[in-house]
Amino acid sequence: MNIGLRHSSGYSNLDSVFAALADPTRRIILARLMEGQASVSELCEPFAMSQPAVSKHLKVLERAGLVTRAVDQQRRPAQLNAEPMAAALSWLETFRDFWEGSFDQLDTLLMSLKSDDNRKD
Amino acid sequence: MTDLPVYVLERLFALQPDTLWRTWTEADLLAQWYGPGVETVIHKLDVRPGGVWLNEMRMKAQSGYQRAEYIEVDPPKRLVMVQSNTDSAWKTMANPGMPDWPKTMLLEVTFEPVGEGTQMQISWSPHDASEAEIACFAGAVEQMGGGWEAGMAALEKLLAELSLS
Repeated sequence: MNIGLRHSSGYSNLDSVFAALADPTRRIILARLMEGQASVSELCEPFAMSQPAVSKHLKVLERAGLVTRAVDQQRRPAQLNAEPMAAALSWLETFRDFWEGSFDQLDTLLMSLKSDDNRKD
Repeated sequence: MTDLPVYVLERLFALQPDTLWRTWTEADLLAQWYGPGVETVIHKLDVRPGGVWLNEMRMKAQSGYQRAEYIEVDPPKRLVMVQSNTDSAWKTMANPGMPDWPKTMLLEVTFEPVGEGTQMQISWSPHDASEAEIACFAGAVEQMGGGWEAGMAALEKLLAELSLS
């Protein structure tokens, strides 16, 4: 739905952020990176997955801007960049707020309908 | 096309389903609550299968337009419609802020009597959507629906720290 409240360019990357977050393996990788930076081999540990497979997930996260990787170090540790997620969350909050806000208004409307009904009775 | 992501919101209201039903199907009532803090102008409301709801939300700088077509109308229990963002000529368009957000959504509203009140539930899912649109919406729903589990708590903490810094 078109929430229409915020269409700033800050949201242009959100589709790739959401697509990146839609995968459970990538969410586990992000959760791990919240504890601190990690190399590909460290990230492989919780998964029965090859390094190339984890690297592929990291590339998706990098493209979405969720992860940055050091270029000047041998092990190229991955690091979380939470700012795009903050944008994603604020988009979703807008979506939820639309309905919650509408429901609040509906509550108010129902109260006035209720008092109308009482007057008729 | 199984297991489409669904976003569900529920709220308990203090009146009977009949009254709730009126707030969705009478234009003067619907305009009073739909769209928080915006002026809602209903250009057409024809609540029957195949009928349409043309909705304009007037905001400071611009208007947002939505077109809905009713699929199922079962008073006072269930209302199913296909809803899309449109331009001012009621032609479906992608969301300018997020191109992969589903252009068309299936919106199902149910009204269930609970004691003296009514449990209203709205369910959103992508309709006739591309894979990219479904993935985009799934990502959003998983974030909202606790798909993060342990990660979510950590994320919130992190975001709180970011907003403090």
